[in-house]
Amino acid sequence: MKGTHDALAGIRIIDLSMGWAGPLAARQLADMGADVIKVESCERFDWWRSWEATQAWIDDDGAEKSTAFNTVNRNKRNVTLDLEDDEGRDLLLRLVAGANAVVENFSGSVLPKLRLGYDVFKAVNPAIILLSMPAFGSTGPWAGFRAYGSTVEQSSGLPHLTGRTGDPPTMQHVALGDAVGGLNGSAALLTALRHQSRTGEGQYVDLSQVEGLFPMAAHGILEYTATGSAPVRLGSRHREYAPHGVYPCAGDDDWIVIQVRDDAEWQALKRVSGDALAGFGDVADRHARQDDLDARLGAWTADQDANELMFRLQQARVPAAATHRNGDLLEDPHLAARGFWQWRDRAVVGSQPNPSPAYRIGAKPFPVVAPAPTLGQHNDEVLGDLLGVSKDDLARLRRTGIIGEKPRMRGITPS
Amino acid sequence: MVQDQALAGIRVVDISGSVSTGFCAKVFADYGADVINLEPEGGFRTRNLAPLIGGTAPNASAMHAWLSTNKKSVRADAIGPAQCATIIGEADLLLDDGQEHGFDCGGVRSSISWYGRGGPYENFVGTDAQCFALNGMIRNIGPIEGPPIMTAGYQAEVTAGITAYTASLAQVLAGELGNRRNPVHIETSIFESCICFTDVGAVGFHNSGLQASRMGINRFPPTYPLGVFPCRDGWIGVTVLTPSQWHSFCKLLGMDELAEVPLFQSSVGRLQARDVIEPLMCERFETFSAEDLFYKGQQAAIPLARVPTMEELFEVDQFQIRNAMTEATLPDGETLRVPSVAFRLYSTPPSFGGPVAALGQHSGDYA
Repeated sequence: MKGTHDALAGIRIIDLSMGWAGPLAARQLADMGADVIKVESCERFDWWRSWEATQAWIDDDGAEKSTAFNTVNRNKRNVTLDLEDDEGRDLLLRLVAGANAVVENFSGSVLPKLRLGYDVFKAVNPAIILLSMPAFGSTGPWAGFRAYGSTVEQSSGLPHLTGRTGDPPTMQHVALGDAVGGLNGSAALLTALRHQSRTGEGQYVDLSQVEGLFPMAAHGILEYTATGSAPVRLGSRHREYAPHGVYPCAGDDDWIVIQVRDDAEWQALKRVSGDALAGFGDVADRHARQDDLDARLGAWTADQDANELMFRLQQARVPAAATHRNGDLLEDPHLAARGFWQWRDRAVVGSQPNPSPAYRIGAKPFPVVAPAPTLGQHNDEVLGDLLGVSKDDLARLRRTGIIGEKPRMRGITPS
Repeated sequence: MVQDQALAGIRVVDISGSVSTGFCAKVFADYGADVINLEPEGGFRTRNLAPLIGGTAPNASAMHAWLSTNKKSVRADAIGPAQCATIIGEADLLLDDGQEHGFDCGGVRSSISWYGRGGPYENFVGTDAQCFALNGMIRNIGPIEGPPIMTAGYQAEVTAGITAYTASLAQVLAGELGNRRNPVHIETSIFESCICFTDVGAVGFHNSGLQASRMGINRFPPTYPLGVFPCRDGWIGVTVLTPSQWHSFCKLLGMDELAEVPLFQSSVGRLQARDVIEPLMCERFETFSAEDLFYKGQQAAIPLARVPTMEELFEVDQFQIRNAMTEATLPDGETLRVPSVAFRLYSTPPSFGGPVAALGQHSGDYA
C-alpha cells in the first residue's frame, strides 16, 4: 500500500504552464505524489524566472534564483525541449503518450503555432486530459485575451467590493487571480482524473481564471442578484457590526483587525479595554456614533503591541488579528509550531523555506520531497531513462540546442 | 445525480454547514456526487447568512442557495442518531469542522477549521479578514498613511473550500486507485490555505530582506503601471509588465516620448518614476471610453481589463456566452442568478445551477 501522502502515485502530469497559476495547479498534485514533469525550453523558459532576461542575468545564474519560480515548482522534474523544432516536439508527444494529463496556460495562439493542442495530444494518447487555463476561458470573444493575475482580479468585479466610499475600485492584488486559478486548476485536473480512472476516457478541460474569482466576490454578486443593489463599499466598516475595523498599534505601521459581531463579543471587548469604551450601548448606538467609537478604540490600541493585544483579545473571545507583513510569516509562532515552513537546500540559492500544503494527515505536513528543479535538471533521467533516448542522441540534442541546462537569449547559437 | 458526470457514484455528507465545507461540497455536487447536507434542527449556519431573498431563514439565504444547488437536505433530529451514523458510515467523504462528533466515517473524513490543530492560534475565534491580516495581505491594501483596508466577504473560506476539495478528492481517488486502503482523516486550515497568496513574498523576504510596504490604493510593487484608473466613462484595469508591453502601451496612449526612456524599460524603474508617468497616463485615459481602451489594448497584446460593477458582470458578453452565471431554483420556485463552477470538463460537464433543497426536504428518504 502506498502512503497516504502519495495519494496520486502512478499519475503523470506534463506541465507546460508558466507563471503562477498553472505551475501551482500542477504543484499541488506533485505534493500528493503525482509525477509532474515540467517542460521548458532554453530560449522560451518559464517567464517567472524573469520577464526581463539579459545575458548578464543568464551569466549570473539568474534563472535559478527566482523566488517565485522556486516556490511553485517544487516536487517536480524538469526537462527542456525546443518545441519549435520537430524533434523537440516529437519528444514532447512521446512524453504525452505516457501521461495522464497535460497542463497549459498559454495565450490562445501559442499551442496552434507549435502545431500542438488537444487533438494532437489525443492522437498519441486517446485517454489524455488537457487542462487549459486561459484568463477568460477557451471560448467566447475574449478567449485569446491576455491577462496576469492582477488583470484577472480587475476583471472579476472584486475591486468594486473593496475599499472606501469615494476611492477608486480597490485591488487586493498579490496576483489574486493567479493563486485562485491554480487552486481551481488542481481541482479541475483531479475531477477529470477521477473520470479517467473509472472509464479510461480523457477530455479537454477549460478553466476560466476570472470565473474562478467570482466565488471570492460572491457576497457582492449575490447581494446584487437578491436585492437589485450592489453593496456599498464601507472601507473596513460593516453595515451590521460595530466596532469593525483596523486600528493602530505601537510600532512602525503596526495595526490590528478587530471585528465585534454580537453582544457577547462586545461585552468581552469592553471587559478587556476597561473604561476605554464606556458609554457606548447596543449595536444601533455604536453604529450611530461610529466615528467616536473608532477614535476611542483606536486611542486604546495605539500604544499596545499588536501581537500581544491579539492574544489578549482572542483569549477573551474577541475576533482580532495583527496585520502581519509577508516576511513575518517566516517567524509566525503558529506556523512554526505546526512545522509549516519546510527548509530544503536548493542548487544556486541554498537553504530555502517551502510552504507546506494547507492540508495535512496527522500532525505533520505533507513532505516537500524535492526543491524546485533547475532548468533541464532531469533531461537525462526523463528523456534517457523514461523515453529511451540514447546517450549519443542526448549529446546531439544538447549540441543542437534542442535540450540544455542553461537559458539562452533568443537567436543565440548554443555553445 | 447524473450518471455520466465525473464524480458520479461518490457520496458526500456535510455535517458542518460552513461556507468552506459548503463550497467544497458544492463543487462535488456540481460534478455529480450525491451530496447530503445533514443539518441540525434549525439548519446550517449558512441558511442565516445575508442577503435574504424576500423571506426569512431557513430557506431564503442567497448565500446558502448558491452553495447548495443539487444537494439534499436531511434533518439529523428527524432521522435519529442511528440513521445519521449509517449515512456517515457509508459516505465516501465526510465534511466537518474538525470537532469530535462521535461518528465514524468509513472513507475520507475531511475537516476544515480556521487554524488547524496545534499551535497558539488553534483556539482563536476565526474570521475571513483575520486570515488576510495574518497572511500579510491586508497590510498592503489602502492609503500609505493607513489604516490598511480589510478584505470583505468570505474569501478565506472560499479559498479553503476549493483547497479542501482538491485534498479530499485526491484521497477519494487514492482509494479507487488502490493507493489508500484505510480510512483517512485529512485536515485543511483556512489560514494556511490563504498563505498561497503571500508565500512567495515571505520567501522573497528570506532571500532579499525586503518587506513589501503599503504604497497607496491600487499601487503594488514592483509592477508599474498597475491599478484601476478612471476613463471617460468607467474604469480601466492596467498591468504593464514587460518591455514590449510598455512600448505598446505608450503607443496606444500616444506617449511615444516615454517609450524608449532607459529607466522605464523595467517595472522597477517605472515605479520609481511614477510621479512623472502617472499624470500623463491619467490625462490620456480620460480621453478614452473604458470599453474602447480595453479592446484596443488587448488587440495590441496589452493585458488591460474592464473593471465591471456587479450589475455589469451580468451584461458582459464573454460571461454570458460561457454561462458564467447560472440559476439556483429556490424551494418556493423562485430563481436566483449565481456564479457557475469555474472549470468545465467538456465530455462530462458540470450542472449549471439547479434546485436548492428546503431544510429537511429529503429527511423522509433516509428515515
